Amino acid sequence: MNFDLSKGLEWAYKDMLTFFPENVSTFGAQLDSMFALIYWFSVGTFFLTYGLLVIFMIKYRYNENRKAYYFHGNNLIEFTWTLLPTIFFVGLGLWSDGAWTKTKYASRVPKPDVEIDVMGYQSGFGWEFRYAGPDGVFGNKDREQITISNPFGIDSNDIHGKDDFVIISPGGARPIPIHLPVNKNILVNLSSNDVLHSFFLPNFRVKQDALPGQWIKVWFNGSKIGTYELACAELCGTGHYNMRGQVFIDSQADYDKWLDEQYKITKPVLEAPVSSDTTIVASVDTKDSKTTKN
Amino acid sequence: MQTAVANANDIHSHDTHHGADHAHHELSFIRKYIFSTDHKVIAKQFMVVSLFFLFVGGLFALMIRWQLAYPGSAIPLIGNILPTNWVSDGAVTANFYTQLLTLHGTVMIFYVIIPLAVGMFGNFCIPLMIGTDDMALPRLNMFSFWLVPPAGLILLSGFFYDSGTAAAGWTGYPPLGPTSGPGQTTWLVSLFMIGFSSIMGGTNYMATVLNKRAKGMQLFQMPLTVWGLFITAILIVLGTPVLAAAISMQLCDQYLHTGFFMPDNLLVTAPDNTYVTNAFIAQGNQLLEHKQLLGGGGQPILWQHLFWFYSHPAVYIMILPGMGIVSDVLSTFARKPLFGYKAMIFAIMAIAFLGFLVWGHHMFQSGMNPLLGTTFMLSTIVIAVPSAIKIFNWLGTIWKGNIRFTAANMNALAFIATFIIGGLSGVFMASAPVDIYIHDTYFIVAHIHYVLFGGALFAIFSGIYYWFPKMYGKMLSENLGRKHFYWSFIFFNLTFYPMHILGVGGHMRRIYNPYIYEFLQPLQPMNQFVTFAAIVLGFSQLILIVNIFWSLKYGKAAPRNPWQANTLEWSAPAHPGHGNFDTDIVVYRGPYEFSVPGRDSDFYPQTEPPSENEVPIHSGH
Repeated sequence: MNFDLSKGLEWAYKDMLTFFPENVSTFGAQLDSMFALIYWFSVGTFFLTYGLLVIFMIKYRYNENRKAYYFHGNNLIEFTWTLLPTIFFVGLGLWSDGAWTKTKYASRVPKPDVEIDVMGYQSGFGWEFRYAGPDGVFGNKDREQITISNPFGIDSNDIHGKDDFVIISPGGARPIPIHLPVNKNILVNLSSNDVLHSFFLPNFRVKQDALPGQWIKVWFNGSKIGTYELACAELCGTGHYNMRGQVFIDSQADYDKWLDEQYKITKPVLEAPVSSDTTIVASVDTKDSKTTKN
Repeated sequence: MQTAVANANDIHSHDTHHGADHAHHELSFIRKYIFSTDHKVIAKQFMVVSLFFLFVGGLFALMIRWQLAYPGSAIPLIGNILPTNWVSDGAVTANFYTQLLTLHGTVMIFYVIIPLAVGMFGNFCIPLMIGTDDMALPRLNMFSFWLVPPAGLILLSGFFYDSGTAAAGWTGYPPLGPTSGPGQTTWLVSLFMIGFSSIMGGTNYMATVLNKRAKGMQLFQMPLTVWGLFITAILIVLGTPVLAAAISMQLCDQYLHTGFFMPDNLLVTAPDNTYVTNAFIAQGNQLLEHKQLLGGGGQPILWQHLFWFYSHPAVYIMILPGMGIVSDVLSTFARKPLFGYKAMIFAIMAIAFLGFLVWGHHMFQSGMNPLLGTTFMLSTIVIAVPSAIKIFNWLGTIWKGNIRFTAANMNALAFIATFIIGGLSGVFMASAPVDIYIHDTYFIVAHIHYVLFGGALFAIFSGIYYWFPKMYGKMLSENLGRKHFYWSFIFFNLTFYPMHILGVGGHMRRIYNPYIYEFLQPLQPMNQFVTFAAIVLGFSQLILIVNIFWSLKYGKAAPRNPWQANTLEWSAPAHPGHGNFDTDIVVYRGPYEFSVPGRDSDFYPQTEPPSENEVPIHSGH
């Protein structure tokens, strides 16, 4: 039962804004500065209102020789302190909207350099990633063909799907990392086959629920090479806490090399029958989905 | 309108006679204390049951906190006596942890805050403060209470399933909810029942306020507590049926294999971690080949819309009565009229109206069309305005007052202090792009506890200290009251303020073991600090219980009007019996005529006839 009080009190003596994990996405800085602006507004309001509260409590504490001021209020004052916050808050809302549309509107997703499909899964709790393979084109998805070993429902009739490979990463301490190139627009098509999950990349300021039955576009652009953690932020069952993933942001050359390796590593796996409890790098193509479909 | 009032008065007087008849024949113990139709007894019943659940919910919270501070280590004292399907080696299992967080939220919201704020104060205050003998529909009132204990038992009984109770969070999102076993059913049924309890209560409050006000009392002469409860009743009656409908739909998804919330082709996991399908659920534990879900064509997000369409207004259901209580307590102890009486009422109305237009801010990251995010962001941010108005008016109320620091007033002031922080942290989430990062983190947990514990519960404490003398005829100990306040207020802030920081650090909610994430490992000491503070906070609440029992036995007998307040309940006898008032109640003025110039005493009860040569006061400037 060790406990380090000085670390336990960090919230009291360190600025709240220093607790953010390092930001490595292009739009993250804008979101952080918006947070900071609201934070400083809150600090100001806090000291204003608490100042008045404390001053009034001290100055007007009970004294039996004094009588309180008989005053019911004043419409002009009410009007003023209605109007000012209204202007401020509506302004804040309109100002916020720019960053919101930029990060979330499907119509404003920038032209992707790399596109991957991602799903959270509940059976053992982890993430499934699908890369387009050497041809760079995804095969069609067919929800009728979804099985355990073909979680994305890659259409067995589509030639583009033949080289698609899938990484099934278990959660926990040793997930299978995925790699993505630095300074590139990454588009994630997000969904789920079971329950809700939420794709949370703290360092990229990205969070989006994965919704079964729907593909949602999530984009980001990582600006710094390194290893970052992926988390699930929506309760998805007993193992929700364990849905840890890992994302490597690589230089383009390293990324290309990794992509090639992955394709080769997963190739032998393609031939082997895939068991339902696959937790290593597994790959699925049309043959697999056919053999395991029933 | 005039005839309606006259009719109501007829009914009123008829009821009075009826009540008087009963008073003559001694009521049996059961009719007097158990199946009572007296609104004051029902209020006490709500209080007892909800305070019991407060400790149950608090115990759940402390078990959650222990796991976050020292994952996998045995819970002190109770860890080794809990059943083995809840704990392993004295530490909570992941499955039990998820049940605990689900039940903590459910119990605190549906079995503590709503029954205390609405059930207890609604029942106790409304008839007394509008000067009538009882609720408009006393038997409905009794029924609304008597749904609560069985609903609570059903909720807690879920723990005794082998697979445990509901574990889909207090929000019960599908597809996790309907596929997570029988515990979810007890949860749904129990919420359905308590929802009906709420609806019956709300209907009754509306009928009572509109029909049973004392002679001379206009709507704009009602104290803010009654206004808060009245608007709350409207919210309940409009919102709760939607929850009831959503619950029915989830039950149908679970048992009739409808597809309201279930999309096509789901692969769902059963508690034993095997892929199963709806067919599996349909055919009763007969594990089929990996086939796709049979039900379907539905939308998981539909549940979220329906759930939050109720549960966002429910936040106001929990806070509006508190705002009313605080307004009355502050004005009474500042010996000063409430600042901006009508503005306060219009602010409550504005909050209630806007409260129905903002539910989507819980769903910014849900996959809802982001265009709606823009809409809900604007409506949400506008709701900050009436909240700000209320804060300014409370500050205006104590300005140039003559403030008495009773336990009731200290809790009311604490309400303002914590509501400011809870309101400000709400602005972060209202801004949709800022919410992307903090959504589903401890920042949200901090916010909701600042609003519901710091806000609603401190207001409830304030109300308990304020009205206890009228409820039980005994004064609560001010000394113990202050102790309870100081310990609660300090350790409340030490518990929940650091959670904002945890949230900024990225700490997700509902995480059994945060420290498998490297970026969360540095936050462990703060989690431990929060846990220690929470333990002290939890035990501080025992002071309130001790105070209640001690004062019931040894407390000073309460005078009729111990706080020298103006509202009608203080014109009733010190410990009013069935029927409430021993005099005819006529209302001459508004409830906040404190420190009126030219009067000897600094208060002016609503019932005191004006002196001969006095210019009548127009209430509600």
